[in-house]
Amino acid sequence: MVVDLWFVFRVLVFPGFTFIFFFTMFCDWMERKIEARMQNRVGPAFTGPAGILQPFADIIKLLSKEDIIPSGAKRNVFRLAPILAFSFVVFAFSFLPIDGSAVIPNSSFAGDLIFVMALITIANFFLFLSGWASSNPYGDIGATRVLTQFLGYDIPLTLLALAPAFIAGSLTISVIAANQYLPFAILAPWAFVLFIVTLQAELEKDPFDIPHAESEVIGGLETEFGGGKLAFLRLTRDVQIVFGAALVVELFLGGPYGPVFFGLPELWYFLWFVLKILAVVLITEYVTCLFARLRIDQVLSGNWKVLLPLSVLSLALTVAVATWIYPLVM
Amino acid sequence: MGSRVKIQSGYLGKAAIEVKAGANRDTVKSLLEANKEAGIVALTGLDMAKKIGLMYHMCTNGVIVTIKTEIPKKNPKIATISDLIPGAQFHEREAADLFGVIFEGHPNPARLVLPDDWPENLYPLRKDAKIDEALANAETAPRQTEAVQAESEGDIVNIIIGPQHPALLEPEKFSVKVEGETVKQVEPRIGYVHRGIEKAAEQRTYLQDVYLVERICGICNSCHAACFVETVEKILGTEVPLRAQYLRTIILELNRLHSHMLLLGHAGLEIGYETLFQYMWRDREPVMDLTEQLTGNRVISSAMTVGGIRRDLQETDIPKVKTQITTLKKKMDFYYKLFENEPSFKIRTQNVGVLSKEDALKLSVVGPVARASGIAIDVRKDEPYEAYGEIPFNLITRDEGDSWARLMVRLDEVVESINIIDYALDHMPSGPFRVKVPRVVVAGEAINHVEAPRGELFYYVKSQGTAYPERVKVRTPTFANIPAFINIAEGGNIADVPPSFVSLDPCFSCTDR
Amino acid sequence: MVKELLAHLFKKPATSKYPFVKAEVPEGFRGKQVYDPDLCISCGLCSRDCPAKAIEMVEVDGKRSPLFHLDLCIFCYQCAESCPRKAIKSTAFFELATTNKDSLVLKPGGPSQKGECVQQ
Repeated sequence: MVVDLWFVFRVLVFPGFTFIFFFTMFCDWMERKIEARMQNRVGPAFTGPAGILQPFADIIKLLSKEDIIPSGAKRNVFRLAPILAFSFVVFAFSFLPIDGSAVIPNSSFAGDLIFVMALITIANFFLFLSGWASSNPYGDIGATRVLTQFLGYDIPLTLLALAPAFIAGSLTISVIAANQYLPFAILAPWAFVLFIVTLQAELEKDPFDIPHAESEVIGGLETEFGGGKLAFLRLTRDVQIVFGAALVVELFLGGPYGPVFFGLPELWYFLWFVLKILAVVLITEYVTCLFARLRIDQVLSGNWKVLLPLSVLSLALTVAVATWIYPLVM
Repeated sequence: MGSRVKIQSGYLGKAAIEVKAGANRDTVKSLLEANKEAGIVALTGLDMAKKIGLMYHMCTNGVIVTIKTEIPKKNPKIATISDLIPGAQFHEREAADLFGVIFEGHPNPARLVLPDDWPENLYPLRKDAKIDEALANAETAPRQTEAVQAESEGDIVNIIIGPQHPALLEPEKFSVKVEGETVKQVEPRIGYVHRGIEKAAEQRTYLQDVYLVERICGICNSCHAACFVETVEKILGTEVPLRAQYLRTIILELNRLHSHMLLLGHAGLEIGYETLFQYMWRDREPVMDLTEQLTGNRVISSAMTVGGIRRDLQETDIPKVKTQITTLKKKMDFYYKLFENEPSFKIRTQNVGVLSKEDALKLSVVGPVARASGIAIDVRKDEPYEAYGEIPFNLITRDEGDSWARLMVRLDEVVESINIIDYALDHMPSGPFRVKVPRVVVAGEAINHVEAPRGELFYYVKSQGTAYPERVKVRTPTFANIPAFINIAEGGNIADVPPSFVSLDPCFSCTDR
Repeated sequence: MVKELLAHLFKKPATSKYPFVKAEVPEGFRGKQVYDPDLCISCGLCSRDCPAKAIEMVEVDGKRSPLFHLDLCIFCYQCAESCPRKAIKSTAFFELATTNKDSLVLKPGGPSQKGECVQQ
């Protein structure tokens, strides 16, 4: 019975759903604050100290708004897709070791890296469905753009994720994270940089935020959404961003593991994890501020002509280096 | 053509040519034969009781020549010139809307500025139009149904951009026919915020009209006011004091500065470059503060008045203005580097929306759009007004004709504007800043044009010797540049529509007077 | 751009927390009007020249005085310029947004005519 309660606590409170939710809100606030400061603005300022409660206020505002289903929409899909997308991302999150072990204890298994990537793809597919179900031309275009962009960038992303897996000699996320005496970002910097770029495209952030290009497609797939459903779509996106950062941390920055100075190692692991994620958020936000939005055809040809060959090369390089050079060094 | 033509020089521009109704085409044709680069500036309609006067203000070699003709009101038919000058299409459609002139042979005589449910045979700018009465009885007027949001004809998809769209800050509509990602045809519809300012100006005194025309456009407000007061001063024969001319120049250049910087920032927003947008608008803020300091309001300056300027420059303000513009000039280096080197910015704007020099001439485009296509026109140089004749500055042109060139021209002009303000402050003459003028304006008519931030702004004012103008005609720069948008967008990528559109710096508040 | 972004991360923002930090306006700003009934000679020039027709002449205590409709006013200050006695002056007050349109009518002799800014 005691074990069961511990399990429930881990899933629902820490490091499960509640933590992920609040941490996402915090990252969202961080992101907005960083972007604002880089652009010489104040950013969220009035809700709570330094505006830290602004993301909550936004969600609460959306939840309190009227929920409209357009008459032409495919009702059930329209209703369910945002919630399902959100659930899948959070589910994928629960396989990442946050305080040294994953949300569900002992849930990691050989090859869960591939499983988690698949979950994220499914979540994106539900995002596409939500746009498609709204029966709005802009929703359709936005949804198609999500799909084309995501499916395109999924291949290089998986290829690049294989690099750390190869160095660690395992497809299990917790093993990869635990095996980094030196972060893989240092051992395979080429894969790290490419991974960040590809992730930027996966998360639909500038310069790849084509599905959200409001000057071209209005709200993209969100066009017809309002109220609680929009809140879930927004949440999905925010959790995705944090998840992407977490994936980078697990694969390239040594996961939650770091020096333990005193007391509980879990506490320190958790602290390292949060700090590393914030560092990744800072990097992605910096890239976002640095560039203008590309055009859809430029993004796609950039993927097939540049990123895909590069990621294949990167994998080959990693394999070569990991087989012949690192054994000599370590 | 002999007896059908009467030429009077130094009147309504360089010369006025009076022709019989049938000869307008021939005159335009021979003008075009004499100078291939001639274009149309405006087409002014005029109610003359039994007749309707039409004035084709043509631009040739940087000066305006007016072709006057008259047609009977009962049977207001005249041959179109839009096949000779495609840029005349919009002008003719507007005159058809407002005066009921029928242009025979016009390729697309649909409504342009009036709403679709406006009663038939009610032409608002005719003096005998009983608008209130007609609108009260117009309940039964057939309302044309709006086109549906998107419809398909085979492979061609019809996308409606506007009247409400995040890329357009003002209401206007573009029906875009798209095949795949390629734009096949663009059909603009304006007039969603038409306020009838030309009509309203006839019901206010010259003094009040200065503030009225200023509100045609929030961004280039000073240019409108300046152009109007200069036109009235031409009719009155008023000599404006030199100090007022210099002060006006400073206000006008501040106006240009903030307008150009607004557009450059907005272009950043359209291509998803939010940081550029934030930085540019941050640096634009000191310009607004200077306008506020010198005139009392950060946007609508209300500085111009017939006979001079309303507020003198305080000696104490000069150092403040100088430090601000010097700081701004230093910041421009950063933007030059950004515009010339930032790859994601260039990939979105270079070779996008190319307008060739030939097309630009044919469509009679104005301002930075024309200059970016290699046409060296600038009213400040061609016919210097205010203090521009005495102030040295460069006329900026670029040959690429793409969106990037149009933005670069504006960036260059920001620097030129700063130099102009700097020079004007250094060489500020002393003396009065305003002369007294009568409230009643002597009978007469005059045209005037100034270089607004978006291009050549044209005014025609006719006085009957009262305190109220008989006719005020405004041709805004965007009105001349919209046909260029059709030319640019067709054949391009649909995703390029926002950046190439914004590079024209369209202002629909101007266009829908 | 690369350096600029990082530098700004540690700089003070250029924007201000507006409703909490009041915006300063320069001298000569065209804000809400004040009018001095003692200087007024009831000539009505302000009302005649007003482009927005925002000034109405009304009888107060047997004297024709201007009544300002601030909801129509375009703040051009032609009235102040036309006034032969300089009875109309501007203030630095510009936060005129209100939920009550009546509060935008400045009656001659009313409380908001004495120069102080009345916040609704």
